[in-house]
Amino acid sequence: MASDDCKRFLNQLESWTEGERPANAGAHLRSCVRCQSVVADLSTIQAEGRTWGAQEAEPPEHLWSLLRAQLEEEGLIHATEADGKAEVVAAKQGWFGGFFAHIPRPVLAGAYLSALVAVCVALSGPLSKPTNEAQWLEGTEVATSPLSAQLNSFEQDPITSSRDLNPAVTASLHENLAVVDNYIALCKKSVQEEPQNEIARDYLYGAYQQKADLLAQLHERGENVQ
Amino acid sequence: MPESEAIRLAQQGSAPAFERLYRLHNRRVYSLCLRMVSNTAEAEDLTQEAFLQLFRKIATFRGESAFSTWLHRLAVNVVLMRLRKKGGNEASLEEMTEPDEDSGGPRRDFGGPDLRLSGSIDRVNLQRAVEQLPPGYKSVFILHDVQGYEHNEIAKIMECSIGNSKSQLHKARMRLRELLHEAMRDKAREDRKAATDSRGGED
Repeated sequence: MASDDCKRFLNQLESWTEGERPANAGAHLRSCVRCQSVVADLSTIQAEGRTWGAQEAEPPEHLWSLLRAQLEEEGLIHATEADGKAEVVAAKQGWFGGFFAHIPRPVLAGAYLSALVAVCVALSGPLSKPTNEAQWLEGTEVATSPLSAQLNSFEQDPITSSRDLNPAVTASLHENLAVVDNYIALCKKSVQEEPQNEIARDYLYGAYQQKADLLAQLHERGENVQ
Repeated sequence: MPESEAIRLAQQGSAPAFERLYRLHNRRVYSLCLRMVSNTAEAEDLTQEAFLQLFRKIATFRGESAFSTWLHRLAVNVVLMRLRKKGGNEASLEEMTEPDEDSGGPRRDFGGPDLRLSGSIDRVNLQRAVEQLPPGYKSVFILHDVQGYEHNEIAKIMECSIGNSKSQLHKARMRLRELLHEAMRDKAREDRKAATDSRGGED
């Protein structure tokens, strides 16, 4: 049963937790186990809240591509001329720069060629003549399935999948490969949800390109050692 | 790109500026949404909605308040709106709290002095208890004790007085204490029952 002093203290508790320290409240607190228990509990809750706050969650990467697609659809964003030029240069460096840099390696050239063919199929097939979502989705699958299969078979290649070459770097490349695989899965999900979303498809093609790059590096390391 | 420059360029519709602003604040906004709804799919949806509203209105941002405060106000409103819709009413912030039957304040009881929370609660327990708070209490508790905002910032975000923010926070903590004590008592009861059952099984 709470005494009158306890009730008075509880009435002042809000100010107490905000740092106000009236003398009479302090005197009561020193002598009352029950009120000490309340104050201790509130401190524990605050401390646990801070611990929780220190752990921020990372939103999934596809959220930005969805958001950007929506903003473009609403006409809220556009690439400025300078941004556009930068994007074109980056795109050229990404696709063609990467392509020509890797041409001497025949297997990789095959993978990249498939990527280019896939994009060409994607751009010339039903994707450029939108009729309905099923056709868009089918077009994307037609474009990416052979590429995906080829990259997967390339990944199983004994030279590429070798685990005993400079372990630290190889492990890092394999870690990156897992990240890219995860990214491909997310992009596929976005494409399935919005088959007509060009940006989602671009991200998917970009993800496959990243995978081809990583496999290229692994393969090159394998060939150099063997 | 500094935030002020990103805001200026975003107001002109620059895509990289939008992305920069998104990257600067997405973790904090997503964490807030996730803590409020405890569901990743819903938190993603709410984060997207909050940023969409932000970018739709960015041309009107004049810099009178901090950009992050403005963004968090939008995010909190988006979350509260969703919680209200789920609750099936259009309750105000005041109605989303849980006033004491007599005085409108927190209940003035103690719980036993033998039951102290210290050493007995972890994040999972706290999270479960927070989920049970009314939305108004939950918002203020998460903004202050978890996200680390000051009362004057919360007053701007929630569009209420500083005194109101302090009062809501105190009520939220007291309600959490009750919920955590209830959980501890339930667990103690379950443990006793399990011990009794296991002794019965041995006989």
